[in-house]
Amino acid sequence: MKEISFRNDVLPLKDKFFRLALRLTRNREEAEDIVQETLLRLWNKREELKAEGIETLGFTICHNLAIDHLQKKETQNIAFDPALHEAADSDNTPADQLIAKEGQSLIQQIVSQLPEKQQAIIQLRDVEGKEYKEIAQILQITEADVKVSLFRARQKIKEQYIKLNRYGL
Amino acid sequence: MDYKYIEQLLERYWECETSLEEEQILRSFFNQKDVPARLLQYKEVFAIADEDKENRLSDDFDERILAMVEDKPAVKARQISLWSRFSPIVKAAAAIAIVLTIGSITEKSILQDRPEPVQTDYMAHPQTYRQTDVVTATNNVDHVAAEASIDTIMPLGSKPLATDQQQ
Repeated sequence: MKEISFRNDVLPLKDKFFRLALRLTRNREEAEDIVQETLLRLWNKREELKAEGIETLGFTICHNLAIDHLQKKETQNIAFDPALHEAADSDNTPADQLIAKEGQSLIQQIVSQLPEKQQAIIQLRDVEGKEYKEIAQILQITEADVKVSLFRARQKIKEQYIKLNRYGL
Repeated sequence: MDYKYIEQLLERYWECETSLEEEQILRSFFNQKDVPARLLQYKEVFAIADEDKENRLSDDFDERILAMVEDKPAVKARQISLWSRFSPIVKAAAAIAIVLTIGSITEKSILQDRPEPVQTDYMAHPQTYRQTDVVTATNNVDHVAAEASIDTIMPLGSKPLATDQQQ
């Protein structure tokens, strides 16, 4: 069996993992920490891995770490700053939400409003170009579940574009 | 130009019926310069991949992680034989044993280097040896051989000292 090299097999995946982590956490520093942890965990498992399985497992680790980070942040926010949550929830019109963040394209902003699972699926399908089967493996859900979530995500995106178009934005 | 095919693909895209290849066709189509006005609104949707791929880790990331990986190689289960586990102790013990052996050998050889006892004709000097016998008898020391090794010319006073050294 071919031996796994950190430089050739693990390190080149860093930007893919970074984009998924960044999509979910929306924080560069956190995403960077998550990628670092993901690569180290992959490297420590190299004895049990085949070269082809590295990317899928890496995505799974990265996704789980990102979700953990989000949950931790969530509990902290509820504990220390409830006002922040209320404020974020109050401006509900898509136009308001989307104008709020400058320097980000509409599509990025629409995706960032989706539930985490849908965000991850959009990321893996529309950015990284993964088959449903692999996405199901990465997220540890069924293929049918992947399709349903992707369907909802794309419908939401389409709906938002039509709405914004009608508003003349 | 007929955009029916693209429109069809787009419709199927929203329904999640497109394959990865077809989605790539859509991306390429929307990536070109002249997209018809009625489709232009979706241009951005298919730009997400290109846009997102500009997100990269900071430049010093590689350096840091490589330092970590090279510092901490994965913990490998290594076969440790009984010999390699105990060899430091065995070696230390052997070293001590060698030192002790050499020490005792040199000690012995130093003792053996002492001059052979001089054969003394006791009968020739009865006067001297009578005195000696008295001294050893009073000291209650039974090192006859040792006393014999001391030169007969030696003054009597030094004899007890010589026997002390032997003990």
